[in-house]
Amino acid sequence: MKLARFVLPAVLLVALTSLATAQQLRFTVWSGNEAHLSMLNGFADGFAETHPGVSVQFDVIPFGDYVQKVTLQLAGGNPPDLGWLAEASAPTFIDAGVLADVGDALRNDSDYDFADFSEPALGLWERGDAVYGVPFSTSPFIVYFNRDLFEQAGLTPPDVLAEQGAWTWETLKESAAAIADASDAFGFESVDGEGYGARVWHTLVPIVRGYGGEAWSDGACRLDSPEAVEAVQLYHDMVYEDASAVPPGEQGDFFTGRSGITITQLSRVSKLAEADFDWGLAPMPSGPAEDVAVIGQAAVVVFEAGQQTELATEFLAYMTNKENVAVMAEFFPPARRSVLDSEAFLSSNPMVTPQQMEIVASGIAGGRVLPNHPNFPQIDAAARPVFDELWNADADVAAVMTRVCDAIDAQLQ
Amino acid sequence: MTTPARVPRWFTKAAWYLALIGLSIPFVFPFLWMVSSSFKNSTEMFAFPPTLIPETLRWRNFVQVFEYQPFAQQYFNSVYIAALVTIATILVSSMAGYAFARIRFRFSTLIFFLMLTALMMPIEVTIIPNFFFMRLLGLVNTHVPLIVLPVFGSSGVVATFLMRQYFLSLPTELEEAAMIDGMGRFGIFFKIALPLARPALGSVGILTFLYSWNSFLEPLVFVNDLNLFTLPLALNTFTDSYGLPLWHLQLAATTLSVIPILVVYVLAQRQVVESFAMSGMKG
Amino acid sequence: MDQVPGTPATPRPQKPPPRKGARSLRALDEIYGYLFVAPQLTGFLLFVIGPLVAVVIYSFQERNLLTGAVTNVGLQNYNDAFFTNPTFWKVLGNTFVFTAGLVPVNIALALALALLLNRRFPGVTLFRTLFFAPVVTSAVAWAIVWRFMLQGEQGTVNQVLALVGVDGPNWLRSPGWAMTAVIGTRVLKNVGLNMIIYLAALQAIPREYGEAAAIDGAGRWQIFRRITLPLLAPTTLVVAVITVVGSLKVFDHILLMTGGGPANATMVLVYYIYQQAFEFFEIGYAATLSVILFVITLVLTAIQWLVNARRS
Repeated sequence: MKLARFVLPAVLLVALTSLATAQQLRFTVWSGNEAHLSMLNGFADGFAETHPGVSVQFDVIPFGDYVQKVTLQLAGGNPPDLGWLAEASAPTFIDAGVLADVGDALRNDSDYDFADFSEPALGLWERGDAVYGVPFSTSPFIVYFNRDLFEQAGLTPPDVLAEQGAWTWETLKESAAAIADASDAFGFESVDGEGYGARVWHTLVPIVRGYGGEAWSDGACRLDSPEAVEAVQLYHDMVYEDASAVPPGEQGDFFTGRSGITITQLSRVSKLAEADFDWGLAPMPSGPAEDVAVIGQAAVVVFEAGQQTELATEFLAYMTNKENVAVMAEFFPPARRSVLDSEAFLSSNPMVTPQQMEIVASGIAGGRVLPNHPNFPQIDAAARPVFDELWNADADVAAVMTRVCDAIDAQLQ
Repeated sequence: MTTPARVPRWFTKAAWYLALIGLSIPFVFPFLWMVSSSFKNSTEMFAFPPTLIPETLRWRNFVQVFEYQPFAQQYFNSVYIAALVTIATILVSSMAGYAFARIRFRFSTLIFFLMLTALMMPIEVTIIPNFFFMRLLGLVNTHVPLIVLPVFGSSGVVATFLMRQYFLSLPTELEEAAMIDGMGRFGIFFKIALPLARPALGSVGILTFLYSWNSFLEPLVFVNDLNLFTLPLALNTFTDSYGLPLWHLQLAATTLSVIPILVVYVLAQRQVVESFAMSGMKG
Repeated sequence: MDQVPGTPATPRPQKPPPRKGARSLRALDEIYGYLFVAPQLTGFLLFVIGPLVAVVIYSFQERNLLTGAVTNVGLQNYNDAFFTNPTFWKVLGNTFVFTAGLVPVNIALALALALLLNRRFPGVTLFRTLFFAPVVTSAVAWAIVWRFMLQGEQGTVNQVLALVGVDGPNWLRSPGWAMTAVIGTRVLKNVGLNMIIYLAALQAIPREYGEAAAIDGAGRWQIFRRITLPLLAPTTLVVAVITVVGSLKVFDHILLMTGGGPANATMVLVYYIYQQAFEFFEIGYAATLSVILFVITLVLTAIQWLVNARRS
């Protein structure tokens, strides 16, 4: 049995060495789409070339429950190493200290070119010098319009108006009213049709910003300012005076031709694949105060609680280098300027002309995210019941907005 | 009892059927919409006015469902887990229910009432400590919690409750006769009480299968691997990368997932419908 | 036991009459009783009692799931719920309205459907399946269809009402009517389950009872009230308890139909708990609210139990 004496140490040796070289990173995502996963697995394979023995496992969590499940895993001692994170959760997670600071690692990496990222796009993920996430998807809100309905109402379409510099919120209101009169469609549908519920901020804040207002700043609510009230009043009039906006409780889906204008993100363009009407894209309308570009974002983050933060950071850097961002641009609008300006990006979506893609690109380069706050869930929960008071014909907009501020002041501290 | 002679029988029958059909419309209409929408593309689905009969039958939707994620594996997961849960629950709850109904033992009412408390905490909160516990046992990302928790949790307690009430409502003559003949408790249970309880077993079977089949929170919390997903999780994953549901896939997948429940329902119905076998029960 | 045809048996746990060897049977029964409940009891202690105790402990803490910060705050959470936070009482009120509205309608409808379909006629299985269809319709599909049908102007319900001259309300956006809409759609979705339970129970009632009573001249309603209903009492207890308890836990339906709105008009306690636990990550406060919900459920169940015990 002399052989036996060698077997055990040999086995142990093999086991130990394989333990040393076989590492796995766990990466949480919310897309179960084959195409996305094979792209991500491609990144994992590429990474393994320079980091032998390292594999990346992508765990799919349904989008609606993503934050809940990740939080539970972090709390339960089962933390992922990396993951996607949507903009709404960024301040909360950063404040809670659960994200690792990757700033130094990225800046010191000479090939990475950290400066290539658009500053406004990084805004949400930076605190001073610390960088807590790298956006992989930066998707601006843009205007979709139904060309047929505009023609029917004898109106100049928004993309032409935008070139003339005449595409404003007032013009949008007038166009919507004209469309509602000239056809049995609605003039305007709020963001994803949820403007009175989950998307009330997406619907109202761009108008507020266009009029020079803001939701809050420096810990104080500014929704009761005259600018904000004027902005909300404009939308209120669209619903109750012009009867052009889809009112609460009704459905007027732009993508089936029931509304003339809507505002949402580029990804919805796939819904128009079998549309039976002619459509176009335009930038967000400008207001008296400023041109508004609003972006929605998702980033790749490294979780502080993971056991392999250094390795995870390296994978993050790999995934978001110039080459791979260009690969991801097929599905996700990039935040790297070099990719935004490239021909490849401008022709990346078969349904969107390069000209229209320019709208998206400039939205990304200059856009700001929606108002955010570590206590955003609480703010939203407190504000929405008060916003609900807006939606009747004789609502006193100024009074309601004051009440909104009263409701959320405590949370803004 | 007189029936108005002038109204022909076929008329009352027809009226009867018409009334039933009318009553069932709000129940069945959404189901029909769901099934017909699974053959449509997203645009047609939300067209206005809505159509019940799709313009073209897009069988492609159903094929795409299997291409999008390992749907067949996920389907199988749901089936075998629900089957295991149902069988285990029927066994455990019928025994417990029988004991609570028929056997006199100390503290039985107290224990039963205590067990009812399993129903009273919302699962959204009890799942957190359960998650920590399963993590400790190393059972996260397995199917074990999905099988064990329903059997002993609220679903199992409901089943026990149902069995208890049903056993209570059964006349006792047969059991007493068996006791005189010297049969022990196990014998009485397996040979007499259980066969008599077939309708209740049928309804317990349907309810438990449904509970396991539809449960979403437990798989969400305990399962990480796409291959280990159950159907409700899988259905929620038919979204684009922005979280927007891919309706044509989701509804097609939902229609497919309805089939086993209907099968179980029809099978269990036979138990529920069965006329009371021992009709010689009256005194 | 000695049953005259026409008189209903009272459903009560029957004592085995004293016989030879009854004492040893009784002693054996102690063992058998525990043996029969042992599997369920063990699992119960492991997987139910543990989390229950944990939740009670959490209720005395401020515990954030995300940051992991834990502070013992004694009764502060309870104080906040009952005395400081106005939303809590609104939510509690909504919860009672929801349960009080849903339970009687659900039980009555389930029993009515079960009675209607507890006979053999061609197509009975089809109709049983039709009324069961909502149970197997996904909650999401159910919400999509009903949200469409309950639109203020374009919705099917209001268009049908308009045909008979009624101006229907904006169902899901009116604080007054949203709750009604949510209750109604929930009853339709779930009543099929109670219908099955009642159908099973009706099977246990020998046809002979009703037939004998009819021969004696009893009308249908009398047969129902004097024979069927009392015989169904054990079933009605379980149906009532699980429907009440179930209604106190309805969450996804409300989320999908109204999101708790408008103006928190349909926000119920379990939804509020979910918000605290999974949107705000405040596990301590969520646990406090859960304990309150637990006590409410316990009290309601105990009441039903005692009422039922008194009646029989």
